[in-house]
Amino acid sequence: MDRRLEKILLSVQKPARYTGGEYGAVVKSREQVDTRYAFCFPDTYEIGMSNLGMRILYGVINGMDGVWCERVFAPWGDMEEAMRREGLPLYGLESGDPIAGFDIIGFSLGYEMAYSNVLNMLDLAGIPLRSADRPELTPLVVAGGTCCYDPEPLAPFIDLFVLGEGEEVTPEYICLYRQARDEGWTKEEFLRAAAKIEGIYVPAFYEPVYKEDGTLAEMRVREGSGAPETVRKRIVEDFDHSYFPVKTIIPSTEIVHDRVMLELFRGCIRGCRFCQAGYTYRPVRNRDPKLLAEYGKAACEDSGYQEMTLSSLSSTDYPCLLELCDDLLDYCAPRDIGLSLPSLRADTFSMNLMERLQRVRKGGLTFAPEAGTQRLRDAINKNLREEDLLQSCRTAFSGGWNGVKLYFMLGLPTETDDDVRGIADLARKVYFAWKECTPNKARGVRITVSTSWFVPKAHTAFQWEAQITREEYQRRVDLLRDELKRDKSITYNWHDPETSWLEAVFSRGDRRLADVLEHAWRHGAKMDAWSEYFDLRRWTDALEACGLDGDFYAHRERPRDEVFPWCRVDTMVTPAFLWRERERCYESQTTPDCRTKCSGCGANRLLKGGVCDG
Amino acid sequence: MADRLLFAKEGRARYISHLDLMRTFQRAFARAKIPIKHTEGFHPHPFVSIALPLSVGYGSRCEILEFGLLEGTGREEVPARLNAALPEGITVRECYPAARPIKELAFVDYEAVFDYPDGLTPKAEEALRAILSRESVLVRKKSKKAKTGWTEVDIIPRIKSWQFSRRPGALVLEGVLAAQEPGLNPELIRAALCAECPDLAPDFASFCRREILDGEGKVFR
Repeated sequence: MDRRLEKILLSVQKPARYTGGEYGAVVKSREQVDTRYAFCFPDTYEIGMSNLGMRILYGVINGMDGVWCERVFAPWGDMEEAMRREGLPLYGLESGDPIAGFDIIGFSLGYEMAYSNVLNMLDLAGIPLRSADRPELTPLVVAGGTCCYDPEPLAPFIDLFVLGEGEEVTPEYICLYRQARDEGWTKEEFLRAAAKIEGIYVPAFYEPVYKEDGTLAEMRVREGSGAPETVRKRIVEDFDHSYFPVKTIIPSTEIVHDRVMLELFRGCIRGCRFCQAGYTYRPVRNRDPKLLAEYGKAACEDSGYQEMTLSSLSSTDYPCLLELCDDLLDYCAPRDIGLSLPSLRADTFSMNLMERLQRVRKGGLTFAPEAGTQRLRDAINKNLREEDLLQSCRTAFSGGWNGVKLYFMLGLPTETDDDVRGIADLARKVYFAWKECTPNKARGVRITVSTSWFVPKAHTAFQWEAQITREEYQRRVDLLRDELKRDKSITYNWHDPETSWLEAVFSRGDRRLADVLEHAWRHGAKMDAWSEYFDLRRWTDALEACGLDGDFYAHRERPRDEVFPWCRVDTMVTPAFLWRERERCYESQTTPDCRTKCSGCGANRLLKGGVCDG
Repeated sequence: MADRLLFAKEGRARYISHLDLMRTFQRAFARAKIPIKHTEGFHPHPFVSIALPLSVGYGSRCEILEFGLLEGTGREEVPARLNAALPEGITVRECYPAARPIKELAFVDYEAVFDYPDGLTPKAEEALRAILSRESVLVRKKSKKAKTGWTEVDIIPRIKSWQFSRRPGALVLEGVLAAQEPGLNPELIRAALCAECPDLAPDFASFCRREILDGEGKVFR
């Protein structure tokens, strides 16, 4: 171990985050690999290690002969300061080697508030921030993850973006890179070849051309680059044969999701109009329940975890959920292994399922009605009926649960004050359901209402929408707070508006925001997802310095024919479908879920045979 | 409670905290498919207890963990199976039935290495010898109980024996220190040196437990 590192580790909080050496970490011999891959998660170890996508790709890449993938996380402030002071560059956790010498630096981008950490990590590694300042092929800086559906704000920093699911395309571009390196290609030659791989967006080959009003005239394909008109995202077609990390790293220190994560299916049948994941993960692909039960048991055996969680965008929509739960509980119950099921929809939550989960351990209950009235829920296509939610709560309260968390968004398109007051009404009805059904009134009940400020996202039916202004958001928060102030059993929390505004700026941002990002980073921005570090002033100053207006991105409604910065990114859900969904919102018309009736979004074209939900 | 492990904690594993280490062992037993006794109560969990918590960053060749082996596993197969299931740096050396109570564990034999890349080793040795030869040396120490957050302890009565040796650029102190009620953290010897001779503060200090001893100075197991 590096003596400088040893010295530093005694002076920082939770040093086990920075050492590697965990059970299941892959250590290869430097002499026996020719390609080193730094998998960078731009947040802390505790957050990054909880990410299933990272574990999948770590396994996929390390499954390749001659390639060694190591993990890199963003150090907390105390560690970063010590590393800079001692001149210790960012290193891979497995080998301790500085990542500047690696072949490929890959970032996982799950949320906009991590962007400043991408720059900070490149800087800590001693790697030039901008692609143009890295003329050599090595190190190649790539990025994947859901943020890449609008890659533009990071475009100048990243050599290539991977769109969609990475299981298959990652080995493809690594192999191409090896060929390029071994045959001495230039970076340009490599990127041209890479742009021909489906799912790879090379930002240097697309040039934004702006109109005077700041909107885009076009995203011009660079002449002679051979880059495609649109880049289609990648998916894993056969989910039963895709890699699942049964054997994975077990951290020696606590992380956020410290348990076995079992991914039931990809995609979502629901079609909530605000939900980017719901559109971009299409089409729905299920995993076989027998296979899942096998994976779950094997993962418990290999990890020693005493907890398992079923993961997906909407777990109760998994067609074989009861069968799977029974199978898993037969294994878990005698071993005291807890089974938890997040992402439940209130409508399908049955007595049956609840009793099954209760056999082992009783977790909290969380529902996300998103909107307070039926009219608005219909408008956003959250096909949840009030009566179903209340029935689910009654079931839960009768079964002894005495706490419910309810999540809502404020500022959804078409929302009125009646809709806001509707949230309070709904919370009160949940309270009365408790009074009516609880076997033990003396214990009391905790009902928590949380609201966030709606952020319109790219590739959704609401991609043309304006985010409501901050003043308006605050007015609606105050209105709801006023409504709820006499209800002692109901706690109201609202999300900090500052980060939601910045998220709204970047989630539909164009390439000009790259300068803003770099300016903010140079003035200290990092760890923006953490309130300890986030400072809105840094960002408004940066916008001003770059001559840009954040409200242009956040609060402006776009016309139908606007050219979006993400127009070269194709999720295979057609813009025509998204526009139709938006119009149905304004008519408060619902669209049935994919299983009831195909709505013709276009994502089925990603599958051979064109049939979803297999 | 019937069984004990003797294990080493070295290298990268030195930075695993006491609580995390217990969790790591609980999971390692499960991974190795070695059934052990569980606690009773609402949330039963595998019972493990580690004697004399080790400070984060310290190495050790002689940590003790108590647990209860359930039927079906022979003690002789435990070290190899657990070692295959443990993170790098934690090595189980022995598994044996507990014969003596932990309270008979009286002393720990430590090795402390003080780095002096600037050639101050002889001066530091001289200063430390002088300090350790006194009748009493009070050292300020953080305290959770004291209102001020600090307390003073006399380190001398808690040091059974000591000797020095030198390595290139480093002074090595081998000391047998009281293990418990109350024990002495060798860090306080460094603190005493820094308090008395700030210019002789070592560049870096590392600590390692080499052996655990009973009241007569014999190896404790």
